[in-house]
Amino acid sequence: MRGIWQHRLRMLAVLALLVAAVFPLYWMLVTSLTASSDLFAAAPHMLPSLAELGIYREAFLNIPVATWLTNSAIVATGTMVLSIALGTLPAYALSRFRFRGKGLLGFGLFATQMLPEAMLVVPLYAIFGQLSLLNTLAGLILANTAFTVPVITWILKGAIDGVPIDVEEAARIDGCSQIDIVLAVVIPLIAPTLAAAGVIAFFHGWNEYVFAQTLVSSQELRTASVGLAGFVGELSTPVHSVMAVGIIYTLPAVIFYLFVQRYVVAGLTAGSVKG
Amino acid sequence: MASITLKNVTKSWGGKPAVSDINLDVPDGEFLVLLGPSGCGKSTLLRMLAGLESVSQGEIHLDGRRVEHLPPSARDMAFVFQSYALYPHMTVRRNITFPLIMRQFHWWFHLPVIGGLAKRRIERSPEVTGLVERTAKILALTEMLDRYPRTLSGGQRQRVALGRAMVRHPEVFLMDEPLSNLDAKLRTSMRAEITKLHREVGGTFVYVTHDQVEAMTMGTMIALMRSGVVQQFGRPRDIYTNPANTYVARFIGTPPMNLIRARVEAGELRIGETGFAMPAHVSTAALRGQKEVLVGLRPESLAIVAAGSPATIAGEVAMVEHIGAESLVSVKLRHAATAHEEEEQEQSAVMATAPGYSDLKVAEPVAIRLTLSDTVFFSAETGERLAA
Repeated sequence: MRGIWQHRLRMLAVLALLVAAVFPLYWMLVTSLTASSDLFAAAPHMLPSLAELGIYREAFLNIPVATWLTNSAIVATGTMVLSIALGTLPAYALSRFRFRGKGLLGFGLFATQMLPEAMLVVPLYAIFGQLSLLNTLAGLILANTAFTVPVITWILKGAIDGVPIDVEEAARIDGCSQIDIVLAVVIPLIAPTLAAAGVIAFFHGWNEYVFAQTLVSSQELRTASVGLAGFVGELSTPVHSVMAVGIIYTLPAVIFYLFVQRYVVAGLTAGSVKG
Repeated sequence: MASITLKNVTKSWGGKPAVSDINLDVPDGEFLVLLGPSGCGKSTLLRMLAGLESVSQGEIHLDGRRVEHLPPSARDMAFVFQSYALYPHMTVRRNITFPLIMRQFHWWFHLPVIGGLAKRRIERSPEVTGLVERTAKILALTEMLDRYPRTLSGGQRQRVALGRAMVRHPEVFLMDEPLSNLDAKLRTSMRAEITKLHREVGGTFVYVTHDQVEAMTMGTMIALMRSGVVQQFGRPRDIYTNPANTYVARFIGTPPMNLIRARVEAGELRIGETGFAMPAHVSTAALRGQKEVLVGLRPESLAIVAAGSPATIAGEVAMVEHIGAESLVSVKLRHAATAHEEEEQEQSAVMATAPGYSDLKVAEPVAIRLTLSDTVFFSAETGERLAA
């Protein structure tokens, strides 16, 4: 009897968390599909009105949403690919090699996470200016990657620690060079964690605002996060347009996550039990 | 096939030697067992042979060619790990083929689609397929070629690891306690499999184990190690019958050799209160200057007889273990002492074998008759064997 109640309470708690997580999204959808006249009604509408679906078409016609999304996708994918490429080898080195300054390097990687983005905007702006990286998506990818690589290095190091050293030694005996071992043996074995790390980097690139706002000024290179924020005017904010673009902005990320979540969950729990 | 020669091989960790000054000469086609307790340096020595560990000093020659500076892949040795070390993300077939793929490897094999196709092409070539299938047949793995290691039992995984080693036709097979993760029954059958493999495939085998039964049953040569030093290197029978020192005597054999303290008095051997004529095979020169010696006798050279029999040593039964065809009887000697280092309190118990199911009872007075013609004498001071 006690077990049943415990189970019910647990389910209730999960449900409450789920509602808290999903309700803002739902409210975004409902608001985007509410007629302008009803937006500030005393009794809010809890159900979306399908008659207002035209707002999504208008969003694509009147607002460069497609360009923003494309830019965001380029930045997010670029950040993901570059972060994984640059994070894997240091992770391997930190996990497997003994060298002078290893502890310091590990701490240094951690330390970069203590600095807020806003603090680095000014120096980055100056450096990117000299390197002609201002107002380019490549510059944005680079700036984002600088922030994700340390996290990814640490995540991947943890996964590589879990790869039995015997397997690597077997590969050495079988004729693999050090880089062959990483590419042919270690990477396939840490694939789930790699997917999880990829998701983290992708979402960082997708959601990033401060750098995208500062380092890019051209309209055509705006990412969705900046574009969306641009709606908020000094005098008025077109609420249902903001919500519609918000939904459009969220959907690709959700779809991407659903696509890789199988691997992410496996990656986040990898090594927790004896395999 | 190749001979292996180790010259003054030493490995130190932070100035502390783990393996000291090893000199071994293993002729082509031998099955050498590196035997010793945990931490004696046998695995380190094997890993140095494989190239997985650097050599601090000394030389390793493979068929006369110096190899200690070469990477593992250039030494043409296969290694079977204690943990099997299979590639979990590859099928059994790919695990076995992997060393062959690596022989023809190009950097672009790492590319996602093209690399996969190239590897598959090698895997499916008639030459490789034939080789893999022959190997799988020998190891009874044919049915499992397309399965992943996680779906296999311990014994099957071990056979895959052997297959991966065999398929390369290496000059030397190195095995690091490959059977220690298997249950007792499987271990016995795999022991026979590996011995058969050595006979059929040929090549020089170096096998590390702490199990002296494995060493005695599989090895054609044994190097017994302790604290990084080889205590004795030779044929199993030699090591069993003529141990170089008391450590070897006590390590080899189940139960181990009995070491009974004796005095040499006027050309006679006195154990406790009993005097024995010096056995014929012992030269007086060997015992010259020795007042006290250790008499080494295997349990089968000790016979239990009725108390009070002439020319025996008196004692009482301390323990009886029935192991089927014979019984192991521990006898506490009344007037004589033993030199078994591992026994901290009881320094007078010897082990004897009695045929069949012994009816002896604990505390029953008995006597021990010694077959002195089988005796090995050791110095009581150094523990080294005294020349016969």
